[in-house]
Amino acid sequence: MWQTLWTYLFFGSITLFAGMAVWVTIGGFRDIKTLFRRLSEDQSNDEE
Amino acid sequence: MENSFTEALSHTNFSTLDWILVALYLSISVVIGLFVKKYVRNMTTYLGAGRAIGTCLGIATMTGTEMGLITVMYSSQKGFTGGFAAFHIALAAAIVTFIVGATGFIVCRLREMKVLTIPEFYEKRFDRKTRILGGVMLAFGGILNMGLFLKVGSMFVVGITGMSQDSRALPAVMTVLLVLVLVYTVLGGMISVIVTDYIQFVVLSFGILAATAICLNQLGWENIINTVQELKGEEGFNPLMEGSGFGLSYVAWMFFTAGLVSCAIWPTAVARALAMESTQAVKKQYMWSSLSFMIRFIIPYFWGICALVYFTTSAPDLQELFLPTDPNVEPVNNLYAMPIFLGRVLPVGLIGIITAAMIAAFMSTHDSYLLCWSSVITQDIIAPIRGKDFSTASRIKWTRILIVVIGLYILYWGLIYEGGDDIWDYMAVTGAIYFTGAFSLLFGGLYWKGASSTGAFLALMSGMTALLGLDPVQRLVGLKWVDPQTDEVVQRLTGDEVGLLTVAFTLIVFVLGSLLFPDKPKTQSTEPIKA
Repeated sequence: MWQTLWTYLFFGSITLFAGMAVWVTIGGFRDIKTLFRRLSEDQSNDEE
Repeated sequence: MENSFTEALSHTNFSTLDWILVALYLSISVVIGLFVKKYVRNMTTYLGAGRAIGTCLGIATMTGTEMGLITVMYSSQKGFTGGFAAFHIALAAAIVTFIVGATGFIVCRLREMKVLTIPEFYEKRFDRKTRILGGVMLAFGGILNMGLFLKVGSMFVVGITGMSQDSRALPAVMTVLLVLVLVYTVLGGMISVIVTDYIQFVVLSFGILAATAICLNQLGWENIINTVQELKGEEGFNPLMEGSGFGLSYVAWMFFTAGLVSCAIWPTAVARALAMESTQAVKKQYMWSSLSFMIRFIIPYFWGICALVYFTTSAPDLQELFLPTDPNVEPVNNLYAMPIFLGRVLPVGLIGIITAAMIAAFMSTHDSYLLCWSSVITQDIIAPIRGKDFSTASRIKWTRILIVVIGLYILYWGLIYEGGDDIWDYMAVTGAIYFTGAFSLLFGGLYWKGASSTGAFLALMSGMTALLGLDPVQRLVGLKWVDPQTDEVVQRLTGDEVGLLTVAFTLIVFVLGSLLFPDKPKTQSTEPIKA
């Protein structure tokens, strides 16, 4: 039973993680662009 | 044996190309720190990145911080010694983190209060003296906790690169790494940390998936399972069995520590939640991060298991070093097992990428922890004592100074200290000094109106009983001794039992203290506290 559980857990998590890694890589890049845009806007507002 | 170990180290695939890859990657981090400095205007941007972190970036930075090199090292050690039974820790981490995300338990309420640190919450909910004591316990436990990080990190570098552990090159490498971390953390604060965490997440994620695929291809899943079965039997798979090295109380302790504490009580993880753009984003971040929290344990466990299988089936020189048949021969510290194994099986190029990513993970953990502990001292100890006469510029300056001071302590401690072998035990005890009390204050403070500042203060103090989990303390107070007749070590309470009892004790103290010494009624403000 334990061998089966760990086998499914291991391969299941690896597969899900691979998919999540792709999604986070693309989405994270977009978030970084948004982050810097917001920080720049806040900086401009402060200077005004 | 020293010569055998040095000889074994020299068989790594690590090459000049790999050193170039490592140097290239690390220089990017410094550039980022210099680039983002201009955005740092106040403590909200310095510590909280302006609270403008989106979901994907939040997941990346959470994973980047929490998937540290230290975690990989002690996890692989657990896999090497415990086999597949160690996987239960990864499962516990995933289940609890997912539940925290789905319910918003603790983290969402903290985010709603717009605090920057946990001790800031203590003042808002209880009083100033609780904040200061909370800050002291947090900084004390946290800084002690990271005292061995540099030491453990150096063992990884030695193992995978084949660098001699006695050469001057090793301390120089560790010093350079620490200086790089100090540079970009001091300059850019949380913004630098988050951007470098993102890069590290990308490199590490694809790197570890590739390395895992190579391990599977080299050894074969069936062969790995069968070898562990031969070496350990059912104990290599069932964590509840006596003899597995775990047991029921240990499993319960893991649900609390690897699960709840790691994601909702430990300040570096909570800091990510406090930097998210909204509570909805916090929930999404945690639910998705539950997978990362599992992966950060399960893959290193697997690598440790692979090291065990590789040594026993394909590397007799390493088997003799790590698993000597002669009972009079002292085995090599098994923290070296995983890096030496990877050094032998990974090809040139990939080994450089993995090493760069691991060193980046090492730096990522350091930058977050340095920022966290220094900001706790600034915001939660110095600022409340100084009162209104503590400007934003002064706070940032003090935080930067403390980052350097703590960095120097870590360098000194890591290069000089000759500690014991079990890193997980050391970290569990030093961490428990803080989190046993903190759990009561967070849980009680956020969900029970009757919680009082006296109950909180007493609960924080009672967290010190976690020290009873430490081996020398146990021997001192008679919880552990050697039976003179059998020469066997007798232990009344294991470390995990002490931990669970300490949690229960602090909760009882918190409740009794609150009931016996209730606070006088006051109006609670929802605005952020200013010292």
